[in-house]
Amino acid sequence: MGGFGEVVAHCSWIAMMNPSPIEIVEPEVEESSEVKHDQPWIVIVWNDPINLMSYVSFVLQKLFGYSKEKADKLMLEVHHQGRAVVSAGNRERAEFDVFRLHGHGLWATMEKDSSS
Amino acid sequence: MSQVIHAFLGRPDLKQVEIRLDNESREVLLGLVKQFRSMLIDDSDQSLQRLYPPAYLKDSELNDEYDDLVHDDLLKEKLESIDVLETTIWLESIELEDFFAWMQVINSLRLVLGTRLNVSEEDEFDFGQIHDPEQTLFVWLAVLLEEAVIASNFSLEDFNKT
Repeated sequence: MGGFGEVVAHCSWIAMMNPSPIEIVEPEVEESSEVKHDQPWIVIVWNDPINLMSYVSFVLQKLFGYSKEKADKLMLEVHHQGRAVVSAGNRERAEFDVFRLHGHGLWATMEKDSSS
Repeated sequence: MSQVIHAFLGRPDLKQVEIRLDNESREVLLGLVKQFRSMLIDDSDQSLQRLYPPAYLKDSELNDEYDDLVHDDLLKEKLESIDVLETTIWLESIELEDFFAWMQVINSLRLVLGTRLNVSEEDEFDFGQIHDPEQTLFVWLAVLLEEAVIASNFSLEDFNKT
């Protein structure tokens, strides 16, 4: 591969960017979901327009040991339905999973499981 | 401008990934991560918020606690990944763990760049039609990451056993 650097090799990426304020749009949340104290926590991955679908599947395989089939299924759920529950457990476990997902750039949150 | 083809090649026999980028592309990547490190350390650019998403959407207090707990660790992890990329940028093959660090850096760059470009689901970037440098970088990094996923897929089953 080659030729790419002619355009951007010497450019200052930060300096040339638009300095206008950035609006981070957070996922919409249904406020009505009341939870009980003994419910487990679920970890949710949200759809975002930047992460590649293949990368999301890769991360789910890498972090949770999911098969490619399961990871692809969850990734497609994220893509088509806007979110998918990727793991569950006690609060510490869920927070650890969210931390790892954030470390890999996925938009992940956690909440008490209102379905159980 | 030519499109990236086979930037990386998985080597299951060696548990390594072959880096097939030309020198020009390595220089570009190196330049980007140097700027990215400064940006991370400065920590004032609003687009960096995308790298530290909220963990709790319904409880700002819990989320503040979470952010206090993990922000420095997430930053440290990113800086370490940048260090790995910088120290291995000229190698022909690298260990899998190091390659995962490359992937995390490339994805973080895409997230920040994409946020600054206000990329939406509707945006489609045709590599051959882009003349804007920022969009070019964004798409180039996407191609690199896509190829990185393909090159490293061989490894996941073994990696998860370790």
